[in-house]
Amino acid sequence: MMSGEATVPGDAAVPVTAPGEATEAPPRPASGLALMASELTVLYRRRRTWAMLAALAAIPILIAIAVRLRPTAAGSGRGPQFLNQITDNGLFVAVTALLVSIPLFLPLTIGVVAGDTISGEASHGTLKYLLVAPAGRVRLLVVKYVGTAVFCVTATLTVVIAGAIIGAVLFPIGPVTLLSGDTIAVGDSLVRLLLIAGFVTVSLLGLSAIGLFISTLTDVPVGAMAATIVLSIASQVLDTLPQLDWLHPWLFSHYWFGFADLLRQPISWTSFGDNALLQAGYFAVFGALAYGRFITKDVLS
Amino acid sequence: MTRVWLRWLPAVVVPAVIAAGIVVAPLQAGAAVELPAKTPEQVLAMVAQSPVRAFSGTVEQSSELGLPQVPAIGPSSSQDAASSALELLTGSHTARVYVDGPSNARIQVMDSLAERDLIRHGNDVWFYDSSERTATHLTLPARATKGDAASGEGATPGAMQTPAQLAQRLLAAVEPSTRVTVGNDTSVAGRSAYDLVLTPRSSVTLVSSVSIAVDSKTGLPLSVEVRARGQQNPAFRLAFSALSLQKPSADLFTFVPPPGATVKRQALPEHNATSPAPKPGAVPKPAVSGSGWETVIQVPAGAVPTNILSSPLLAGATKAVSGGRLLSASLVNVLLTSDGRLFAGAVPLDRLQAAAAGQ
Repeated sequence: MMSGEATVPGDAAVPVTAPGEATEAPPRPASGLALMASELTVLYRRRRTWAMLAALAAIPILIAIAVRLRPTAAGSGRGPQFLNQITDNGLFVAVTALLVSIPLFLPLTIGVVAGDTISGEASHGTLKYLLVAPAGRVRLLVVKYVGTAVFCVTATLTVVIAGAIIGAVLFPIGPVTLLSGDTIAVGDSLVRLLLIAGFVTVSLLGLSAIGLFISTLTDVPVGAMAATIVLSIASQVLDTLPQLDWLHPWLFSHYWFGFADLLRQPISWTSFGDNALLQAGYFAVFGALAYGRFITKDVLS
Repeated sequence: MTRVWLRWLPAVVVPAVIAAGIVVAPLQAGAAVELPAKTPEQVLAMVAQSPVRAFSGTVEQSSELGLPQVPAIGPSSSQDAASSALELLTGSHTARVYVDGPSNARIQVMDSLAERDLIRHGNDVWFYDSSERTATHLTLPARATKGDAASGEGATPGAMQTPAQLAQRLLAAVEPSTRVTVGNDTSVAGRSAYDLVLTPRSSVTLVSSVSIAVDSKTGLPLSVEVRARGQQNPAFRLAFSALSLQKPSADLFTFVPPPGATVKRQALPEHNATSPAPKPGAVPKPAVSGSGWETVIQVPAGAVPTNILSSPLLAGATKAVSGGRLLSASLVNVLLTSDGRLFAGAVPLDRLQAAAAGQ
């Protein structure tokens, strides 16, 4: 629904202008694609972004090195699932790393990026310059959300690719054993790895929308980041309480571990579909809330 | 002021639309189905002559037995046998089922980040557990396959009864203790179904009713639901959530143990040893009293291992009643008398106490 409304000028007080003839407003251009490009440039020029991606890439590398140094400890049955399969097949480094990053590290980085979207500009005092252009607030909101979504893809792919590479370097690569006990060739397993990355990315889109909304509520980016991260933890805690099982299917973190369904033979798409629907619901609700809040907000800084 | 109001409109409308969708969708799915009326006998005959030989589907099992629940914290890699048995009993499970004729079948129990597979291909049976990475192989005796093939395809029509006869005999057998009716038509996994309801005639049982949904087109049973007295939700439910009558792909039934897995070959136990083999020291056999829904099973003193009786887990799950300790679930009561005997049945506590006192 957000993309549909993106063409509607956000602020009625500003005269309607066709996107093509939008006047260039320093420091950043405001016409759709240009604004998008500049948003991504700013995001990926930040040292903070690269530090987070480096930390994510370090997870599979640490796991792989630890297993390589003490391979026997992995077989003891403790530790996360798939850990003991790493010595047989390096590709499992990527899966294990994703499994380890999903509860905390990925939500942490997404929380930082999503929480910073609007409140970060407000605290830098750059928000009012962005809104001087007739492009409007809706477009800015859409651009900010898409930027966060692109970061979700990057973060997940960083873990998967770093895992696959370090796994290939330190361990043998071969046909992958699925949860169902069937084995598939390396080519197929790479496709599955990408599907899993897609699943995890989709899983994080709901959290991104929540972060975007919280970010419109405050001018203090750290507060929005912390609130987003705390919500992601709270949702996971609620998901483990059996007394609240009526609530579980509605928690945005409910399907986070559902990517394992892509490791079955044949692939079970049910949780992929359910997850996508749930995240779309969170996107719609919190997107609408963010719209309501941001459109009516007094931008003073 | 109005403008501000208008801009918050999407934030109100979107949740409202989603909520409406959530409410309406199940209503449509469960919309009343009108099927031509049938007697229980006709429905049973339909089950007996069901032409379905191959299908694939997803089965969901849920139980609400009133047993204490244990929080499942995170994906754990290994579980001991006792807690996994408890989990099977109390938890909910989803399994995918693939069947092609009487001798090809595969059941995949989908656990969180793990899977248990049972694959049958002709006489070969494999059991694979992904969390343990073990594959167990069993070879069925040739006789078993033949028997299955005969009953499955009706190879000996002379000796076989017609489905109608079979339905009659089945009904005659259960009628004295059970009332069999056809309930309201339902819909399971998107298919319209007859609901065969078995209600115990006895009032001294914990079972309130058993209902079996039978597909109106093919006669395939689609769901089984056991309801307990005084409980709103079914105590046990096993139902298809998706069903396709197409023949599943043949390579699903060929299983080769994956590299790295521990392969066990297990000999099939002797045919007369279907019940667990008695331990040396000849434990006395359990006795049965009562009949039908009121059956009480009695296990004499000494048959129950003492380490189970003294375990703190059991002490926590049971409560003290006159004459011993009671483990109460919605469908079954188990009484452990102070002298070490065990009484179990789908009956109220006073029945168990009476059985204990009567012996």
